[in-house]
Amino acid sequence: MIKKIVFLFLVAFSATCFSQKNIPNINVNTLKGKSVSIESQLSKDKVTVLAFWATWCVPCINELDAISDVYEDWQEETSVEIIAMSTDDSRTQKRIKPMINGKGWDYQILLDKNQELKRALNITLIPHVVVLKGNEIVYRHTGYAPGAEEELYEIIKKHSK
Amino acid sequence: MKKSILFIILLISFVSFSQEDHDISYGFESNSQYYLDDSKTGDFLESNRFRSNNFFKIDYSYKNFYAGLQVESYEPKAMLNYSPNLDKTNLGLYYLGYNTGKIEVTLGHFYEQFGSGLILRSWEDRQLGINNALLGGRFKYSPKEYLHFTSFYANQRKGFAISKGNIIGFNSDFDISSALNFETSSLSAGFSYVGRSQEKTETNFDYNNRTDLFSSRIEFSKDHFYSNLEYVAKGKDAVIIQNQIKNAKKGAAVLANFGYAKKGLGINATFRRMENMNLFSDREANGNIYNESVVNYLPALTKQHDYLLTNIYVYQAQPQVSFQDPSLIKSGEIGGQIDVFYKLKKGTFLGGKYGAKVALNFSSWHGLKADYDFASFDYEMDFFGFGQKYFSDLSFEVRKKWSKQWNTIFYYVNQSYNKRYIEETFGEINANIFVSEATYKMGKGKSLRFEAQLLATNDDRKNWAGGTVEYNATSKLAVYINDIYNYGNDDVDQQIHYYNVGGSYTVGAHRFALNYGRQRGGLICIGGVCRNVPESTGISANITMSF
Repeated sequence: MIKKIVFLFLVAFSATCFSQKNIPNINVNTLKGKSVSIESQLSKDKVTVLAFWATWCVPCINELDAISDVYEDWQEETSVEIIAMSTDDSRTQKRIKPMINGKGWDYQILLDKNQELKRALNITLIPHVVVLKGNEIVYRHTGYAPGAEEELYEIIKKHSK
Repeated sequence: MKKSILFIILLISFVSFSQEDHDISYGFESNSQYYLDDSKTGDFLESNRFRSNNFFKIDYSYKNFYAGLQVESYEPKAMLNYSPNLDKTNLGLYYLGYNTGKIEVTLGHFYEQFGSGLILRSWEDRQLGINNALLGGRFKYSPKEYLHFTSFYANQRKGFAISKGNIIGFNSDFDISSALNFETSSLSAGFSYVGRSQEKTETNFDYNNRTDLFSSRIEFSKDHFYSNLEYVAKGKDAVIIQNQIKNAKKGAAVLANFGYAKKGLGINATFRRMENMNLFSDREANGNIYNESVVNYLPALTKQHDYLLTNIYVYQAQPQVSFQDPSLIKSGEIGGQIDVFYKLKKGTFLGGKYGAKVALNFSSWHGLKADYDFASFDYEMDFFGFGQKYFSDLSFEVRKKWSKQWNTIFYYVNQSYNKRYIEETFGEINANIFVSEATYKMGKGKSLRFEAQLLATNDDRKNWAGGTVEYNATSKLAVYINDIYNYGNDDVDQQIHYYNVGGSYTVGAHRFALNYGRQRGGLICIGGVCRNVPESTGISANITMSF
């Protein structure tokens, strides 16, 4: 048993060297119910941040609230685009629209309704951010600690040049 | 098992010699626990004190092709109260597909959802031990940007085996406004069919091998308003009470939603009625406690609370027919919920310097009103009638930022929980819950968070108090301690502290967590689906890694 676990670990570690580079070709939904491919939502030469969240996830909301306060400055300086990718299932999906309006967020909102994109990227925990340059994945991070948005911004700045 | 390992190694070596077009993604998750004896809540009486659930998933794509698999390992045994069908190490999922954007073909395991999931949803939730992926063939076709078709034929995964029943599905989604170039409004419609075929048992009741379900839905939005409506009809199927077929009845569901949203204000109202809407890939799976063989998704439409004490009395949707005794008969549920979100502007009296955010939710759920005949396990339905009250929940939340350093949340919940009907045991609970939370940011990812909670009730186990302190030393390292204390329990021996201490370390997309403590027994609910866990004490370790 231990052997198997150790083996899985080895496989997992050896995998680090070949981690995913491009965003998979998967369809997500707009708030109006339109199905669009995720690639079509990324700008070719700018940095896009996919922030996976859900209406019931407190650290996700804290992260997006914190970024929301400084988003204007970020955009001005780096023209980064943040997409808040909701992983809410149909239990809480109807809460997305009123919530983002009630919060006054300016992000583009997309819905990963049955978590296909989340699964394809092998994301197990949210909040999870994926930083993209064009459609190439340059950075990933899971979890949120208050203030950690500053570190994320350093990454965005680094890749915006 | 050996074959799958070989396959993984082959894939990795293949990709490491490859060019740009190849892409590979991995995920690894491990949840382990070492169960300890507890002088307060009792010794650990099961076999294997150490238990571990492990998942390794790999996805590979080359141009339009994709393939993947998931190996699962429950060694030496799955954690407490997971299905006995999740045992040892085996291949959990495997799939192969081709996707051009217009056409997609999948062979092997796949996840699918039609509409809101009322007639079909397959998904995975590892914390709950749910994986009801479909195993078979699926074909998707999108002739136009605004027109999408899906069809499949499959069995359903059950542990490492598959269901006896077959499932066939067809779905269409039509974005009418894009097709007709509506400028200011949006209109779309969908239609789905799901059939579950399983040889029927010899009975006097009239139903077919195949149970048919139809769903039609429409969605409309204009300016700040939006609404959608879904209706589901379910054909006659066996009504199973305590593992015996007692009748055959039809089922139905109505789901309606209206909302208004503009910057700074959002309102949403949902109504749902469900009658005999359970659907399992094997009829005999009816009522299983592991959420196995579930074909459709019928979550409780209530607010999903975030705090320990707000999650003691959690409603579970009641779609099923149940005849326990003449005073405890159920055939479905009816009710709804309303959400309001409002932002208090910066610089106003209540909003202060940074503004504040307010959220309100109210939900109420009842049984269906019907003439019940206990002797023949039958009923006559009053379609929009409200029966016995099952649950209500009123919650109010204020989030306020006071300065660059201080953030607070105040949360109040009033709950009414009809335990007799929801859990089919005894009692009714009315509770008031108060939570306040404060976060102090010290910069560079360093922060402190405090939480104080109180649950006040004269029912069931009476009053509870709780608290949490969490310290983020850096944006990577966090430690916490929490405790909930049932100080109001009439039985002094049951006045128990459920304490936990732990920490986590995050590097990029990888997270390692360690925890020691005593867990309260009861329902653990995620996404409106609940799993019953026993009280336990122990040390747990969680690893999640994504590549």
